Amino acid sequence: MLLLSACAQQGATDQGKEVHRLYGVIMGLGAFVFVLVEGLLIFSIIRFRKRDETPPPQVFGSNRALLGFFAFGAVLVAVLFPFGERTLSDLQKQEPPLVALRIEAFQWEWTAFYLNEGIFTTGRTLKQPMVMELPVAEPIHITLVSRDVMHGFYIPAFLFMRNAIPGHPTTFTFTPNKIGTYPAQCTEFCGLWHSRMTFVVKVVSPTDYADWVKRKTLKGIGGTCSPHGSDVHLVAKNTTWNTSCIAIPAGQALSLTVANEDEGVKHNFAIWKSIQDAIAKKGQIYQTGPFPGVATHTYSVTATAQLQPGRYYFQCNVHGVAMAGAFIVK
Amino acid sequence: MSTAEMAGDERAVRGTSSPVLGMVLFVASEAMFFAAFFAIYAMSYSSQPSWPPKGVTVPSIGVPSVMTGLIVASSFFLQLGVRAIRRGDGRRLSLWLATTLLLGATFVALQLFGYSQIEFGIRSGIYASLFYVMTGVALAHVVGGVVFLLLVLVRSATGHLTMVRHEPAEAAAIYWHFVVIVSVALYVVFYLLVSVQPKGP
Amino acid sequence: MAVTEARPKPLAPEPRRGRVLTWLTTTDHKKIGILYLVNSFAFFVIAGILALLMRSELARPGTQFLSARAYNQVFTEHGTLMIFLVIFPTLAGFGNYFVPLQIGALDMAFPRVNALSFWLLPVGGLTIVSGFVAKGGAAAGGWTSFAPLSEQLGTGEDLWIAGLLLVGAASILGAINFIVTILRMRAPGMSMMRMPIFCWSTLATSLLVVLATPVITAGLVMLFTDRNLGTSFFSAAKGGSPLYWQHVFWFFGHPEVYMLILAAWGIVSEILPVFSGKPLFGYRGVVLAFLLITALSFSVWAHHMFVTGAVELPFFSITTEMISIPTGVLFFNWLATLWKGKLRFEPPMLFALGFVAMFLIGGIDGVWMASPAMDFAIHDTYWVVAHFHYVLFGGTVFGIMAGVYYWFPKITGRMLSRRLGLWHFWLQLVGFNLTFFPMHMLGLQGMPRRVADYAPDRGWNTLNLLSSIGAFVIAAAMVVFAVNVILTLRKPRTAPADPWSGNTLEWATTSPPPPHNFDRLPVIGSARPVYDARLAGTVAEGDGS
Ligand code: HEA
Ligand code: HEA
Ligand code: CUA
Ligand SMILES: [Cu+2]
Repeated sequence: MLLLSACAQQGATDQGKEVHRLYGVIMGLGAFVFVLVEGLLIFSIIRFRKRDETPPPQVFGSNRALLGFFAFGAVLVAVLFPFGERTLSDLQKQEPPLVALRIEAFQWEWTAFYLNEGIFTTGRTLKQPMVMELPVAEPIHITLVSRDVMHGFYIPAFLFMRNAIPGHPTTFTFTPNKIGTYPAQCTEFCGLWHSRMTFVVKVVSPTDYADWVKRKTLKGIGGTCSPHGSDVHLVAKNTTWNTSCIAIPAGQALSLTVANEDEGVKHNFAIWKSIQDAIAKKGQIYQTGPFPGVATHTYSVTATAQLQPGRYYFQCNVHGVAMAGAFIVK
Repeated sequence: MSTAEMAGDERAVRGTSSPVLGMVLFVASEAMFFAAFFAIYAMSYSSQPSWPPKGVTVPSIGVPSVMTGLIVASSFFLQLGVRAIRRGDGRRLSLWLATTLLLGATFVALQLFGYSQIEFGIRSGIYASLFYVMTGVALAHVVGGVVFLLLVLVRSATGHLTMVRHEPAEAAAIYWHFVVIVSVALYVVFYLLVSVQPKGP
Repeated sequence: MAVTEARPKPLAPEPRRGRVLTWLTTTDHKKIGILYLVNSFAFFVIAGILALLMRSELARPGTQFLSARAYNQVFTEHGTLMIFLVIFPTLAGFGNYFVPLQIGALDMAFPRVNALSFWLLPVGGLTIVSGFVAKGGAAAGGWTSFAPLSEQLGTGEDLWIAGLLLVGAASILGAINFIVTILRMRAPGMSMMRMPIFCWSTLATSLLVVLATPVITAGLVMLFTDRNLGTSFFSAAKGGSPLYWQHVFWFFGHPEVYMLILAAWGIVSEILPVFSGKPLFGYRGVVLAFLLITALSFSVWAHHMFVTGAVELPFFSITTEMISIPTGVLFFNWLATLWKGKLRFEPPMLFALGFVAMFLIGGIDGVWMASPAMDFAIHDTYWVVAHFHYVLFGGTVFGIMAGVYYWFPKITGRMLSRRLGLWHFWLQLVGFNLTFFPMHMLGLQGMPRRVADYAPDRGWNTLNLLSSIGAFVIAAAMVVFAVNVILTLRKPRTAPADPWSGNTLEWATTSPPPPHNFDRLPVIGSARPVYDARLAGTVAEGDGS
């Protein structure tokens, strides 16, 4: 039991601190019950070992005792429950958030959209986990969604977890209060690579945060490349395209080949007007049907013939910005 | 005969013999089985903006009303049969059993006919899922009930059921009444409610 | 004091058939009980070996023995088999053997249904296990098989569904049989409030089975049609919801865990009094607690869904915490039974005391998670794994072992070796704590469950290694147990009718009992007819064997 208290995490958010306090209360209560019951048990084992043949007293119990036993538990619950509820209502308090995030979970990666800043950060399955930075001492408001199955958004150091549920967005708020780097992980079993669905949360000073946002904004989907011609070959492997930029001549149909090398994972290829449109799910120009790997499909795309020269955006609709790039018509 | 067995016989006469008690428990279990589906129905109902959801054309209420009427009537007839055998009248029991069977079989036929009239397929969303699976498992129960009644009819017609020993008839009746209740409940949620009182946006 | 003549009715002689055929076609509750126990032990070895595979993989970070794909199948099958084909059927096996004996009946109410409900079990179990040779492997969605993940998986998942449907049907039939037997087949004088406490626990378990298991049957039907017929119960895109599966699963799942513990409480409540030389303290309180827990267990299911954020948190929190009140009553009644007793530390008693000590820890672990705010920090971490192994292994498996040592002489006519029993007990106690205590700390440090691999830099390495070593100590304990059983079975049948100075009717007949159970029944004037008879000097000795 002592060992257990040593393992408790402090809780690196305001809310986590509350949970830690609750932890103390439950620990105390649990230790009390533990010591009482195990103590009586061990005492009985030592004291009442059979030593002679005199028959022990035949006691059948009484209503008084029964009442007492019920009362004991009832009192403990009456103490415990209000503490738990207080902490819970503290957790659920909403503060006006500075940073509003939309976090999307999918097999087996995370993407975080910073709604006010217009940037995103994402991981690539089996290659590199998502790294998200948060400013210290600011309330963070998160909307959590899942694109496929149940996932669990869990930052152990924050003592907080919430499921990402398909078709059922949930929201919550927390305020990190300690600068540091915190490993985090998916905690709802989500299939083959559940164990690799990790991410990293960096809580940084407001200036560092501003820097990070700036760097992210510049990087974006801003690349450029020379034309591919009207034959486009794409390979999806480890939830990544083999290119982050496709350029085609204007006014031509395309012959598109998509090779999906991720065994058992579905991908598709879609062209959108812009990344904003893709997030809002409107203005899609073209999409192939999603199909699981390992497989290769070829499509002839006529929708591109009507496109005005300019910058567009492509992605795998299954994995969103985690598998995306610039689509340029020259 | 031991006292235990004598006590057993006494209870058999009072109508709480082991097979009947077993059937009551089985029906309780079946009730929970259907309750799970109805709970999902209720959760879907309350979470959808309109019910039936857009794009679902509710089949006309005519044939289902007739079907439900028939099966409710069959329950009464079966109970008349049970009353008869409690008086020791095996011939009457056989008669009422046959009537019930006939009505049950008609119900099955009409239900199958009904399926052929439905315009939405099983793949077209939550309403279709609930409709086909719930009516499907219920239909399987009706068919099971018909088979059960048939077996009882054979025993009754061959004179195996008497005033004192007729647990199969009692048990079959309990099961059949339960199936009828389920059919009525399904009628209410899939025909009456959605025709008379659809939930709109 | 007189001994009533009961059942002088001569039985038709057992037809002589081949030995195997006798077992295949038997409808004798005792033989069926033995079949249950043997079948459960076979699946225990399979599921235990799967556990050893997992622990070998987790001993060190990195992937050594099992790929992620294999690991996911292994823990799914481990959990499923342990719960549905080991723990529950073992308890049902004891029920089959001892409920009719304890209430002075000839057999179960429906002997042929009884045989059917047994035989569905190995069929269902093998269906589930056969996933390992199916294309795409065995089910790999966890024993909880959450949708919509479970709708992506291969053939193994359909086999899992089919197997569980069979096992579910078997347990419902079995439960109906128990309830009717207990309500209708009691010997004269055996009123409900004189009934052995193990029968009460079986009655409560059976009520849970009858009312909760059909709900998962419905869920499995929906999962099956979603997977194969294109319905959309659990698919959010087409109007369903993944949460429906969770509601259905846990509405069954929580009562299920009490189905897994109630009969173990019953066994322990039989054994503690016998080896303390006292009656069970507060018999009526224990019965009341059983019934309260049975009723309450239908109102707590969403404590498994706290982190979905989509359930009424305070309601499910308070109902969950309230369950600890009647459970506490059980504990205090057990302690009061020991109090001022004359304790004899035979192996059954040791396992029963181990049960009390270990189940307490698991119960307290449970209360931690009953506070939603706390659960947000530890849900689906190894804390949960620690909790349920403390209640399931520390509780039920210890209880089962207590029952095995207690009733083995009755079933086989032979006493298990006390010396090997002590070895078994201490190895199991030490190995168990070594395996599962470190999981508390892993959970608090945030190690998620159901992972095939973990990062080497999170400080989880030592604790995992300890836990893996512990698993092999448990395996050693189980080998000692197996050796004990095998050696004992080769000895002659010398066990007396009542080796432990028992209280209940099974000790009033020979060891093993004759096919018709009793040659004569003692007078049943209290909850302890055999104790009364012993006191009056009219020990009902059987005719020996
Ligand atoms: C035999 C099986 C069994 C039993 C008996 C219990 C008993 C309890 N369980 Fe457990 N539980 C499981 C098997 C069991 N559980 C399993 C298998 C899971 C995981 C499922 C999965 O996800 O795979 C689980 C998960 C689980 C969760 C979900 C955790 C999560 O996923 O986040 C919760 C949350 O509330 C919980 C709570 C409890 C409580 C409060 C009890 C109580 O009944 C305990 C009561 C006992 C005591 C409290 C001790 C004695 C009492 C006293 C001495 C009185 C005084 C004490 C107090 C008032 C504190 N359990
Ligand atoms: C009653 C139930 C029960 C029992 C007894 C056990 C017993 C054990 N369990 Fe299990 N466990 C579960 C129920 C149970 N478990 C459940 C429900 C899950 C959740 C699954 C999920 O997440 O879906 C789980 C998950 C689970 C995990 C977590 C997996 C994960 O989340 O990634 C782990 C990890 O260590 C584990 C380990 C063990 C170990 C080491 C044992 C050991 O105690 C096993 C010991 C037994 C043996 C070692 C048997 C060997 C026997 C012999 C050697 C006899 C020899 C025979 C002859 C010679 C004839 N279990
Ligand atoms: Cu995502 Cu586990
Ligand atoms: Cu529970």
